[in-house]
Amino acid sequence: MDFSLKEEQEMLKTMARDFLEKECPEAVVRDTIRRTEGYSTELWRKIADLGWMGITFPEEYGGMGASLIDLAVLYEEMGRAMYVSPHLSTVVLCGNTVLAAGSKEQKDEILPGVVNGETILALALTEPESAWDGTAWTPEGVAVKATADGDDYVIDGVKLFVHDAHVADRILCVARTKDGGAPEDGVTLFLVDAESPGITCNLLKTMSGNHKQSEVVFDKVRVPAKNIIGELNGGWAPLKRSMQIGAVMLCAEMVGAGQKILELTVDYARTRIQFDMPIGIHQHVQAHCVQLVADVDSSRWVTYLAAWKLDEDMDADFDVAVAKALAGEANESACWRSHQVFAGVGSTEALGTLPLYTRFGNVDRFYLGDPEHCMGIIAGELESLPEPEKPKGKPLGLWDVSKQGLPTWDIWKEYYEKAG
Amino acid sequence: MEFGFTEAHEKLRKEVHDFFMNELPSDHYPQSGVRSSEEHEKFQAEFVKKAARKGYTSAGWPKKYGGLGFTSIEQGIVSEQMSYWGMVWPGALGFSLVAPVILTAGTDEQKERFVSPIARGESICFECFTEPNAGSDEANVQMRAVEDGDHYILNGQKTFISGGQKPDWLYTLVRTSETIPPHRGLSIFMVPGDAEGVSYRPLPTMGGSRQNEIFYDNVRVPRENLIGEKDRGFYLAMTTFEFERAAVSPDARTGLRRLVEFCRKEKKNGRPLIEDPHVRKMLARMAMHQQVMWLLGWYAAWRRTAREKMGPLSYDLTMFMRKQWAPTSANLLMNTLGMYGQLEPDSRHAKYNGAVGRSWEASRMIHAAGTPEILQVVIANRGLGLPRVPRKFNAMINEALSEG
Repeated sequence: MDFSLKEEQEMLKTMARDFLEKECPEAVVRDTIRRTEGYSTELWRKIADLGWMGITFPEEYGGMGASLIDLAVLYEEMGRAMYVSPHLSTVVLCGNTVLAAGSKEQKDEILPGVVNGETILALALTEPESAWDGTAWTPEGVAVKATADGDDYVIDGVKLFVHDAHVADRILCVARTKDGGAPEDGVTLFLVDAESPGITCNLLKTMSGNHKQSEVVFDKVRVPAKNIIGELNGGWAPLKRSMQIGAVMLCAEMVGAGQKILELTVDYARTRIQFDMPIGIHQHVQAHCVQLVADVDSSRWVTYLAAWKLDEDMDADFDVAVAKALAGEANESACWRSHQVFAGVGSTEALGTLPLYTRFGNVDRFYLGDPEHCMGIIAGELESLPEPEKPKGKPLGLWDVSKQGLPTWDIWKEYYEKAG
Repeated sequence: MEFGFTEAHEKLRKEVHDFFMNELPSDHYPQSGVRSSEEHEKFQAEFVKKAARKGYTSAGWPKKYGGLGFTSIEQGIVSEQMSYWGMVWPGALGFSLVAPVILTAGTDEQKERFVSPIARGESICFECFTEPNAGSDEANVQMRAVEDGDHYILNGQKTFISGGQKPDWLYTLVRTSETIPPHRGLSIFMVPGDAEGVSYRPLPTMGGSRQNEIFYDNVRVPRENLIGEKDRGFYLAMTTFEFERAAVSPDARTGLRRLVEFCRKEKKNGRPLIEDPHVRKMLARMAMHQQVMWLLGWYAAWRRTAREKMGPLSYDLTMFMRKQWAPTSANLLMNTLGMYGQLEPDSRHAKYNGAVGRSWEASRMIHAAGTPEILQVVIANRGLGLPRVPRKFNAMINEALSEG
């Protein structure tokens, strides 16, 4: 039981924070949003040089071989600074999947580019129907078909809310190759060249203003069978794990954002004068601030617990779902409460980061499992919760409520009399 | 950052687990809000002595005074098991509040006299702080202790004092000096429970929680029973609260297991409750909360080991968050029973022996040891540095208010 970071992790945290404070202040974030790439290519080069892509990758591919805790520490700082980039898509969702399930040739071909920042990857999973009817993150939601045709497969269908598709070199497309059995049996992962004929990326206009998410149309796109990552029909398992890691990293991002929001809000409550006093004197303002602390602290620990369990290869379905649900709700609550404390000052577009945090938080909350979806998973996990353990001593019959008629104060007769 | 335990920890956990498993009767059920009988009290008193002999009740104290010298983490393992089996010690206040304070601030003679019997489970202590005009405003204690030679004479009244058995000691907060601000004139005395002039009136409260009014009528207490320094009692009381909050154990999720079992067995419209979407959402929310409470409990335990390096904790969320969530599981049960929930145990048609109504009532009682509102103020002021009006202005403000 140890809630502290190791020295190297503290160093990573400090280094990342200092770097992003300098390189990614609010002005840079706002500029990034306006770019068609949706991220700063210069900054991407810089963090590649710092080794941020390869943190959890083995040394043979140029990585550091560090843990998910280390990665979560980094993501906390990225969330704090509102640093947007294709890191999650490239490194965690796709790169990690190739590492876990790819063949030696595929890993040798793809991973060096992931680690040195030269390759951008995007995960195309969710579809218009699945994103609407609650099956976005389950195998049931995969309906886009990939049909065998000689040495190739032909993918036909529409993927929606695909992050970073418009800047990706390759797209990891999750497609259905078999019908009729269990939903996860029949899901295959195809690493598709983004330049393939038949692929169209249409950027979606979202509230974060960022050029980030696309509708990706696969119009009879040919993919060689050798570009299947993992087993035919067996793509769901490695994908699920990458998504769990991704969900935990999003939690870490939300924790980092929440911490910054907390600091900004408490500082404002202490310094903003109205009615001749700091507004933080009012208990309702204090209630907002205390809830912020409760939200951020609780989401921090559930996030790191989930990261640790994934690191230890333990069954983490429950813990990841708890973390994502909690962190998502906590982030929404934190943004809401900070808006209440800041009031008008927090709503202006020209000044202040609150509108940005709120909008980005909205993306993180829904991606890879919104609280509703996660609570469904948690309820499912609870179904197999064991009964309370029963002790083995001789029964004494003292806990049958119906036999407990005598009020306790009657046994104090002597004290009763003394008091009169 | 890691959330596992060493082999030695697991061995200790098994040992404590097996103790409870073998010693508790198979029909044992945790007592939230259920009024207990004389036989039950006797069972509790005997059981606590058994546990005390193993040292579990005083695990964190030095061995010299009957403790096991356990680390914070080891103590956490013991208290987690207590939470797991639903055990609350009678006289728990003695173990978790009174003895640790005396170990910190008492003389060696006091440690011998008070702490060792508490360790053996032979001494029941009541924490006598609250008065009719001194609840959240602890510093407003009015009970006077006037010096008289080798003794002090105590006069006043305490109320809402928790405790079911006859106490051996009353750990009492009194006013030894009139001061402004008021908290600078308080002291703590150990008063014998059967001292001449002490009388009790039981104060039945909602949900069957056992509380009392205690009257001190010219009670003579020897000087040797003053704990710490005269007029420094408020700071000891604050230390007491710190120990109180530290005594909260990591949530072992037994409550959730019980709820899930209830939802698996109980049916509505032919289907088990656990298939109902509303119930599922409520259970998921509770599971999320319990994960947090488990982690916060262990965080507090771990943080105590790191206190030297990291300094004292500036705020503690555990009790605050637990109280925020207290009504929720009670509400789930109550909402399930609907109109049946109001039936008393001896009523016709009562389900689950009427225990649900009682535990729901008891869940309204989240004010003891710091209301959530006070806890929030403490976190806001001390933890976050948010401002408050200094006490010395309050009387003036009150006057201005009544002037209209």
